[in-house]
Amino acid sequence: MAIGGGSGALASTPANLNAVRETMDVLLEISRILNTGLDVETLSICVRLCEQGINPEALSSVIKELRKATEA
Amino acid sequence: MATPDQKSPNVLLQNLCCRILGRSEADVAQQFQFAVRVIGSNFAPTVERDEFLVAEKIKKELIRQRREADAALFSELHRKLHSQGVLKNKWSILYLLLNLSEDPRRQANKVSNYATLFAQALPRDAHSTPYYCARPQTLPLNYQDRGTQAVPSSGSLGSSGISSIGMGALGGPAPAPQPLLPGQSHQTLGVGDCLRQQLGSRLAWTLTANQPSSQTPPSKGIPNAVSRSMTRSRREGETGGAMEITEAALVRDILYVFQGIDGKNIKMSNTENCYKVEGKANLSKSLRDTAVRLAELGWLHNKIRKYTDQRSLDRSFGLVGQSFCAALHQELKEYYRLLSVLHSQLQLEDDQGVNLGLESSLTLRRLLVWTYDPKIRLKTLAALVDHCQGRKGGELASAVHAYTRTGDPYMRSLVQHILSLVSHPVLSFLYRWIYDGELEDTYHEFFVASDPTVKTDRLWHDKYTLRKSMIPSFMTMDQSRKVLLIGKSINFLHQVCHDQTPTTKMIAVTKSAEPPQDAADLFTDLENAFQGKIDAAYFETSKYLLDVLNKKYSLLDHMQAMRRYLLLGQGDFIRHLMDLLKPELVRPATTLYQHNLTGILETAVRATNAQFDSPETLRRLDVRLLEVSPGDTGWDVFSLDYHVDGPIATVFTRECMSHYLRVFNFLWRAKRMEYILTDIRKGHMCNAKLLRNMPELSGVLHQCHILASEMVHFIHQMQYYITFEVLECSWDELWNRVQQAQDLDHIIAAHEAFLDTITSRCLLDSGSRVLLNQLRAVFDQIIELQNAQDAIYRAALEELQRRLQFEEKKKQHEIEGQWGVTAAEEEEENRRIREFQESIPKMCSQLQILTHFYQGIVQQFLVLLTTSSDESLRFLSFRLDFNEHYKAREPRLRVSLGTRGRRSAHM
Repeated sequence: MAIGGGSGALASTPANLNAVRETMDVLLEISRILNTGLDVETLSICVRLCEQGINPEALSSVIKELRKATEA
Repeated sequence: MATPDQKSPNVLLQNLCCRILGRSEADVAQQFQFAVRVIGSNFAPTVERDEFLVAEKIKKELIRQRREADAALFSELHRKLHSQGVLKNKWSILYLLLNLSEDPRRQANKVSNYATLFAQALPRDAHSTPYYCARPQTLPLNYQDRGTQAVPSSGSLGSSGISSIGMGALGGPAPAPQPLLPGQSHQTLGVGDCLRQQLGSRLAWTLTANQPSSQTPPSKGIPNAVSRSMTRSRREGETGGAMEITEAALVRDILYVFQGIDGKNIKMSNTENCYKVEGKANLSKSLRDTAVRLAELGWLHNKIRKYTDQRSLDRSFGLVGQSFCAALHQELKEYYRLLSVLHSQLQLEDDQGVNLGLESSLTLRRLLVWTYDPKIRLKTLAALVDHCQGRKGGELASAVHAYTRTGDPYMRSLVQHILSLVSHPVLSFLYRWIYDGELEDTYHEFFVASDPTVKTDRLWHDKYTLRKSMIPSFMTMDQSRKVLLIGKSINFLHQVCHDQTPTTKMIAVTKSAEPPQDAADLFTDLENAFQGKIDAAYFETSKYLLDVLNKKYSLLDHMQAMRRYLLLGQGDFIRHLMDLLKPELVRPATTLYQHNLTGILETAVRATNAQFDSPETLRRLDVRLLEVSPGDTGWDVFSLDYHVDGPIATVFTRECMSHYLRVFNFLWRAKRMEYILTDIRKGHMCNAKLLRNMPELSGVLHQCHILASEMVHFIHQMQYYITFEVLECSWDELWNRVQQAQDLDHIIAAHEAFLDTITSRCLLDSGSRVLLNQLRAVFDQIIELQNAQDAIYRAALEELQRRLQFEEKKKQHEIEGQWGVTAAEEEEENRRIREFQESIPKMCSQLQILTHFYQGIVQQFLVLLTTSSDESLRFLSFRLDFNEHYKAREPRLRVSLGTRGRRSAHM
């Protein structure tokens, strides 16, 4: 699953897997509340990118552009 | 799918692109490039990495959307997230989610979303510049959405209100149908559309982009120019009713008026030169009044602005004026700062979308209070501007200084600050002048004016003058004169005395610190420091100048030399000179040669005490022959001369030298009279014995003697008067003053006073012309007497000689044994004696006439003396007539002298 793949990037030990999974759930919930329109896989990619230090502003503008390109 | 644990960002990014775009990897190349570029260029985030801030923002956003339950849920989730500590970069992901979040009530137009989020996400507190710089896109947007509603500002907040209003107001152009997302009010969309139709695509984009935020509540403000058409359309849509101008609209207008720009309702009326609210607007009286009162600020601003703009174009305005304009600019900048704060306050309320309530909104009243201080400031500045119209230079500084005399401490400090800036150029001119003697004043602003056409020989007297109009009122006349003197002295030293000592050596005073500090000192209680500086500079410079003049150029020595030679002070030299010159000068003037006379002068110098004088002085002594009129003897054209040059010529100017020469002339003449009388006396002595044998001559001779004595007495008294009363006293005074002089001006003044006194006392000035003529007449009589006496003696001596010869011959004859005297010889002898005796009465009468004439002249002279205004001359009359010899003869002299010892002039 994507979640597992996503979390694999974050933690190595299985003890953390639960925590990771919970974190992802939380983030998914937040994302749903905020109505971002991100699905699970995209969210996980974003999380990974952010963890790696990408500027979230730039990332968000990229995503928006891509969405615009999709619409157009 | 099994992915490796760590993927590189690029790969991840590519995956992202694939997922969002829904295409395979090969197709996303272009977008991928774009993504990489964007991410690569915006490497660092512009906001603070504060997780809690972002969380708060999210919560606020949710609350704003009236989703309190969701906000609570989010708080819970956030707490959980925080406790889990799996993510290292929570801020990042939260921020990302916030950015990507969408309001469920917003329309699906992605473009609008973008703009909205952009507008919302920009941190508000990162910018502090006026609103038109910060967010150009959002600016008109807010105005747009103001335009969507027309109700008074009294607090209709709430986003729902907007939609409903928009619905009601848009009667006009029918909105084009648009696809709607659920939950959207299509009225706002309609608004956006109709606006789009009216305004063009560019604005429309920004407008529609901001549609969502148009729902933000505060409903203040008035439509600006862009949405004016909208309001009109709305108005058309409404069923009649005059539009009432909201206070918010007025506030916005006022803020424009503060800068001098006409607002929508408040415009500048040029005829009455004031701001007026447009009459047809429906406005309550109190609002109207308050608005007009506030508009005064704009009027003041315009006035000041006009002045500075005009002056900045004026090239010949000068440094003082420019600093004045700079000071005004500074004040205006402060004013603009205030305005921008007010604007941003307005903007803040527009943007925040939070229901702030009426407590912190901008109202006219609040503006009144906040602009009270600036209004006083601007009023002072405008008054200053009025007062300073058309002035420049030191006058401008005086005008500003006049305004510091006010009791209001606020105004005083403001004007003093401006004054210190304005007087900075003046003070820097001043310091340069008194420390370096340099004057670089292209705009003629300083109160010392230099005349470039004057050459160095007149430097002291003519080159530098005071420009009285430019003397600032905070400097006294005395100070400015001193300043002039100091600079003049320095220039004098540099150019005329060729003394290049730098001023710092001359003046032990160290150069002051920057003049602005002194400007402040000038006006505070340290005024004494400024005065002290000027005084010190004055004292030191003048002392140095006098030192140089005395040591290097021996000014005082030359003064004394003038006294000795030109004013006949060196008695033995003069006497010897006269002795040597006598045979030369009796010749007619045309036969005289200068070099002969110079040779005689040299001889005289060498033979007397004059040879011990310094060679410098002797070098300058010379003979000068005056202009020759026909019939002149040498006596009339002879004169001594003393050459002056260089710095000495400043004190002994050409006029002074001509005065000296005139006095010399007079004194020389008087001396000559004395000389003549001495000769007469000598003649008496020598010939008295010889002529004792001729008793018939005794009467004549006696008369001669008497007349001569009278004349001697007269001349003696004159000489006494001249020497002691005139020359010595004045000289003493001059010498004292010169020794005590503090600067060159004092010396020059004292010297001129000396010359004036001498001239008037020697009867040489224009008022005593009559007296002088009388005196000349007396002198002429003396010469007549000399001539007459010479003739008498010649005749007498010749007669004596003849008689002796006759006796001689008689003896001779007797020795030879002849008749001693033949009858014929005796007859001849007797005849000759008789002739001689007959000529005696002629001589007598001649002498009598002479005496009579002389006495008449002297009496006239005495009368004139007693009516003169000079005291010493009056005393001279007493001395001349000490035994009242003339008073007995002259009835006019018997009239009493009156209370002041002076007879009136009408005799």
